[in-house]
Amino acid sequence: VIDGLVVLAHGIVGREDLPIPRWLFGWAATVVLVASFVALAVLWPTPRLEHARARAVLRVPRILEVACGALGVAFFALVVYAGFAGIQQVELNITPVAVWVLVWVGVPVLSIFLGDVFRAFNPWRAIGRAVGWASARVGGDRASQPLPYPERLGRWPAAVGLFAIAVVELAYADRDDPSTLSVLLLAYAAVQFVGMSLYGVETWTRRGDPLAVYFSLFAALAPLHWHDGRLELRRPLTGITELVALPGTVALVLVSIGSTSFDGFSEGPIWTDVLVEVQDVLTGLGLGPTFALEVGDAIGLALMVGLVALLYRLGVAGMRTVDRSQGTGALEGRFVHSLVPIAFAYLLAHYFSLLVFQGQATAYLASDPLGDGADLFGTASASIDYGVVGANAIWYVQVGALVAGHVAGLVLAHDRALTTFSDARQATRSQYWMLAVMIAFTSLGLWLLSSSNA
Amino acid sequence: MTPLAHAGHWLAEVLYVAPVVVVVTWISVRALLDRRAEKREAGSE
Repeated sequence: VIDGLVVLAHGIVGREDLPIPRWLFGWAATVVLVASFVALAVLWPTPRLEHARARAVLRVPRILEVACGALGVAFFALVVYAGFAGIQQVELNITPVAVWVLVWVGVPVLSIFLGDVFRAFNPWRAIGRAVGWASARVGGDRASQPLPYPERLGRWPAAVGLFAIAVVELAYADRDDPSTLSVLLLAYAAVQFVGMSLYGVETWTRRGDPLAVYFSLFAALAPLHWHDGRLELRRPLTGITELVALPGTVALVLVSIGSTSFDGFSEGPIWTDVLVEVQDVLTGLGLGPTFALEVGDAIGLALMVGLVALLYRLGVAGMRTVDRSQGTGALEGRFVHSLVPIAFAYLLAHYFSLLVFQGQATAYLASDPLGDGADLFGTASASIDYGVVGANAIWYVQVGALVAGHVAGLVLAHDRALTTFSDARQATRSQYWMLAVMIAFTSLGLWLLSSSNA
Repeated sequence: MTPLAHAGHWLAEVLYVAPVVVVVTWISVRALLDRRAEKREAGSE
């Protein structure tokens, strides 16, 4: 993930001492998934997750919303400033850790428990809303209205943006350079401001802002839901059933799974060998050696997203065998929500060690964000404890996340099948191939973790 | 030794794919049996 940091994206501190070989976990996971599938077929004959109700538990004062937005803007400003003004040494500057650990990995993990926290702290949304409020006060009715958002765009801007972020993360050589990251952050913010000014703050945030849309998918799995000035409680997983599969939604989820998969695959021996060959070909075409590596990794990433898309397509095509009247495209959209817990499982499994170890760097970076010797909170001398979690524990968390994510995917797909097909029997039969896809994703995930840990 | 080591390495890789192959085979047989049963039911009606 981040070369310059003490990279432990999938890393293991020390060797594992597992009671059974790692491949056997794949078989155990398969047994769990098949047993879950049978249990769903027998014990879950009617839909239970669709149209579930949420219960308001707290009213959120409006001032809190403003305060969270202001905090988000301040954090964004600090991270950008530190990237330019701070020491250009990755592990001593807050910018790379803030971007790749706290936001890219930390926010999805928080979102799965607490709901859409990014929406509250989203600095671009906060600035956009403040500008909108000010222009309405000054311009009154003369303030310009946003353009209608083109329906066919759907979530495509978010999907394309997420792919671009994944290219930076997994292919770009200077991905962890603090000043480069600050430039990229400013460019990202500029695109969001253009989008918001064209189509309105809320519309763009919900459909076009890659990070906001991406994080909102995981937040939809959470039991907490921040809505209309209220904090609501709902059953876990029920929120994601309300995901409307606008154009680009399937691509967005597939990019999420594909990018995490490629992150693991690119650290294994197969891709390392292939990349050398690809680099040779590209340098033969006149590309510089570093740029050839970057292009090679970007191609690999695109191919992995394509492979994940193919697997999903096969599962959906299998569903059609029980009811030919259902279109493949429509089914892809109807069942895409079942991939969201899998996307989260992949993310947690691949980045758990990064979050646990590199996340600790926040303690000293908070006191000394620029790496210039400051000690704002008295924690500048803190260090990373690599013994906080052992190798076995990391592996068990990774396997547990993958299995739980895929079981959740099966539950969501089964529940949706009950509302899509004519009876419970047909619904169960329609999910045979989705079960195969889930097992394929689980095996792929375990193999990727295993090969990158090897 | 090298070919044997490679074979062992590939065998370990194959063991990750094996559950998928087993389940896909089982599902294919299951789907075939279901389709035949459906045809029989349709024929007896």
